[in-house]
Amino acid sequence: MVGPTTSLTPLSRADGSASYQCPATGANILGSVNAPIELPGRRDALKPEDATVEVFIKPGTAPGGVGERYVEGIIKSMLGRLVLGREKSYARRGIVVTLAIVGGESKPRGDSYLTVLPALLQTSLLALLSASVPLSMTFSATVLGVNTLGEIIREPAPTDAAAATSLHVLAFSSKGHLLLNESRGSFDFDTWERIRQRALTICHGTLSGSPDGDVAMVEDVDGQPLEGVVRETVEDKYHQDYAWKIDAA
Amino acid sequence: MNKEAPLSITERDFILNALRENVRLDGRESDQLRPLSISFGQEYGHVKVKLGKTSLIVRISSEVTKPRDDRPFDGIFTIALELTAMGSPAWDNGRQGDLETYVTNVLDRVVRHSNALDTESLCILKGVSCWSVRADVHITDYDGNLIDAACAGIMAGLQHFRRPDAVVKDGQVIVYGVDERVPVALNITHKPLSITFHTFDEGNRVILDATRKEEQAAEADVIIGMNNAGDVCFLSKFSGSPVDAMVFVTKSTVAQEKVKEINGVIDKALQADLAKRAKGGMLEESRAENDR
Amino acid sequence: MASAAAPAAQSAPPSLSLPPSQFARLQPHAYLLAHLSPPATSNQPSIRANGRAPSQFRITSANTGSLTHTNGSAVVRVGDTTAVCGVRAELLPTEDIASWSVSRSAAATTNKRRKLTDPTQKLTEEIGDESDLDADADDQSHIEDLNLLVPNLSLSTGCAPGFIPGAPPSSLAQSLSHQILALLHTTRLVRAEDLRVWYQPPNLGAEDLERHNESEQMDVDAEEAGEKDKEIKAFWVLYIDVMIVSLAGNPFDAAWASVLAALRDTKLPRAWWDIDNEMVVCSDAVSESHKLTLRGMPVASSFCVFEADAAAGWRAVIIPDAEEERQIEESNRKGVQRRWILADPDGYEEGLTQERACIVVDKKQGGKGKLVIVKMEKNGGWALDSEELRKLVDISAKRWEDVRQVIGQC
Repeated sequence: MVGPTTSLTPLSRADGSASYQCPATGANILGSVNAPIELPGRRDALKPEDATVEVFIKPGTAPGGVGERYVEGIIKSMLGRLVLGREKSYARRGIVVTLAIVGGESKPRGDSYLTVLPALLQTSLLALLSASVPLSMTFSATVLGVNTLGEIIREPAPTDAAAATSLHVLAFSSKGHLLLNESRGSFDFDTWERIRQRALTICHGTLSGSPDGDVAMVEDVDGQPLEGVVRETVEDKYHQDYAWKIDAA
Repeated sequence: MNKEAPLSITERDFILNALRENVRLDGRESDQLRPLSISFGQEYGHVKVKLGKTSLIVRISSEVTKPRDDRPFDGIFTIALELTAMGSPAWDNGRQGDLETYVTNVLDRVVRHSNALDTESLCILKGVSCWSVRADVHITDYDGNLIDAACAGIMAGLQHFRRPDAVVKDGQVIVYGVDERVPVALNITHKPLSITFHTFDEGNRVILDATRKEEQAAEADVIIGMNNAGDVCFLSKFSGSPVDAMVFVTKSTVAQEKVKEINGVIDKALQADLAKRAKGGMLEESRAENDR
Repeated sequence: MASAAAPAAQSAPPSLSLPPSQFARLQPHAYLLAHLSPPATSNQPSIRANGRAPSQFRITSANTGSLTHTNGSAVVRVGDTTAVCGVRAELLPTEDIASWSVSRSAAATTNKRRKLTDPTQKLTEEIGDESDLDADADDQSHIEDLNLLVPNLSLSTGCAPGFIPGAPPSSLAQSLSHQILALLHTTRLVRAEDLRVWYQPPNLGAEDLERHNESEQMDVDAEEAGEKDKEIKAFWVLYIDVMIVSLAGNPFDAAWASVLAALRDTKLPRAWWDIDNEMVVCSDAVSESHKLTLRGMPVASSFCVFEADAAAGWRAVIIPDAEEERQIEESNRKGVQRRWILADPDGYEEGLTQERACIVVDKKQGGKGKLVIVKMEKNGGWALDSEELRKLVDISAKRWEDVRQVIGQC
């Protein structure tokens, strides 16, 4: 399994940015975060003691529509729970997340958007990290499809996704909570339970809990766990940025 | 909002005084472009443009639609540009600002109205179906001179893009997938590009390819749209303080030179990409098979 | 309420006690928490502020056919949330569809043949049978590719405070429209066959094209010869407009129920291709119109999670990891409950919760068959995991029975 290609802070103007490319689904997302920022146009919507998260999705080759508004809503309510919006200088300010779909196929109207949703989520997390927005936890997300034979396909390509009987997007927090679930198609609960297990393995690897509560990530058939991708991306960037210091030491 | 924070007076004076001594903040000559790099993505018509710190992505896409009733022989070509908070924190998502309308308008005139893309060649079946080509411009970093960068991006994209082959067989249009028949390049009649100048000191000082700060300090802008042959297809002095007519004459020659320079960069990038594709062609094909 | 509270405040010396209505406004979170976790001494059951048990839905009622200018309509009330849905059918001649004469080469030949033989498959198919699910894969693509279902939801002015006239559709309304459309596509509720207007040249016998699937007795050879010339001349496009007249929480359940009821009520007039005028003509005789045959009856149930400590810490930083959480759950089983999953939340409860779940289930063969989950969503928190979701699916299954009765009666 080829893992995703990521980069942190590829843009210079936005406060934080990230790009994420998932080779399996073909999604290529560029995300930016501006935070904390004044939102003068929406003073009525601002919460007095909390930050306001705004998400905007720009499709690659089509004007935005109702589908984008829906996905924006999903991402917004998920990030809203993770961002520590009460930290100093964040209250009454906005956190503007902009996600542009710069590669991959465009979605027809009424499409479920589920195949790109994990990539959008991962990009927004990396962009938030790049903008150093305080977060209570990180997460990782994946999409799984079930085909007509009942087999689980990880990160199905557009053609596989179209043929799947059900599609599931799951996001797990760094501590193993199920943060988000979006399932479409027809399935029963036991299938979903299998999906959940598989998704947890993809996100966290095969868990081998050590006594001190640390969760070691082990690679298996699914390759490197996604949680590790986030970590590695940040570590790489850190090493790059502090190369002068590390070399000097 | 949708407006950058204004320059401070000292900053503005600094830029102006430096210009009076023929010095630009980044050390360029007044008629020098910032380093321009153009690269292509995996898909046809996916262009990444970097002009100094300004960067953007252009994506060209096509689909079959019904032609407009009043123009049954013409295909449709649209340029979509939307400024999002990604390009600059000052831009609001989902709200159209003055800059957006202005840039869209200029791009429309330079590329679309000059008929750079032959829309008649997009017709498949008269009055029934035609290609609709769409150029989406995503601005990822804004540091001045959006128009020239976007224009170069769109033109490069149009030349790079390949649409699927379509054949009419007894009233039925058959569209062949990219893996079945060699996709078709678009019919480009000429390669117009825009060159933007900014003027200072009542038109006495004119610089090319201004950065964001220089744009903010400038009094007026002059845009010249031109192709390789030197045909002027767009000329604008939209607002701001008056500019001497001679500026247009003298700067036209500069623009001509720069158009050739940018087109040279595009051609080079196209050839490099073509060579890469030809080389990786076999490899690509076998991989595409495996995907399915 | 305020007038009733005033004398009470006057008679008593100024104290710290407040009438319930004011308490509810000033400290909504504490108010709901006090209802859900009454002091152990009071012997009161845990109940929501609106008097319902946590897994109880509001009273649901439905009425169909009340709008006369639509092809089908329904009004659904779930408590104080009211959704009106009207379905309007319009004809879309195939010559107006740009992509109609276009075929993708890869599937061009096979696809076309499939399209033509589709009606033959229909002959053997029984309504409600699951065998049609595979046979119609290509059938469904018509609905999706040509946008034959166009749902639109509007949150009308004044349905809840804060909805002002003249505002563009809010993102809530847009995402609800999308959810309805996506659910219509994934459940494949409407059959593409119901929306097609066929034409067969008369030399092969002027049989009724609309009801061609009644022609079972027709001999197979003739049928196959006929199929070659048979073509689709037009499609019915269903414009499904939902208006939330009153919004008191949980708009999706009400909106979806109204769409379902309205589609069940929808009648399409008989339409045929008139060869002389070269256009599609409709019959205005009600007796000739036919109802849509829907696939199943998916019912939506929404939930929210109310957390006791949501506002307790000004900075909620420490989040227990999943293992610790499970231990907390264990110890809490006998002791104090800290999370409540509330079914069918009203507006007041929606304002106090962040975590949402929505489950759409269906039962095949009119309720006797297996339970199928069509959509399951959860978002905005970490309280719901597989165990809780399993319970919610069971609750949704019960809800399915209730809604089936309500919609079935009208």
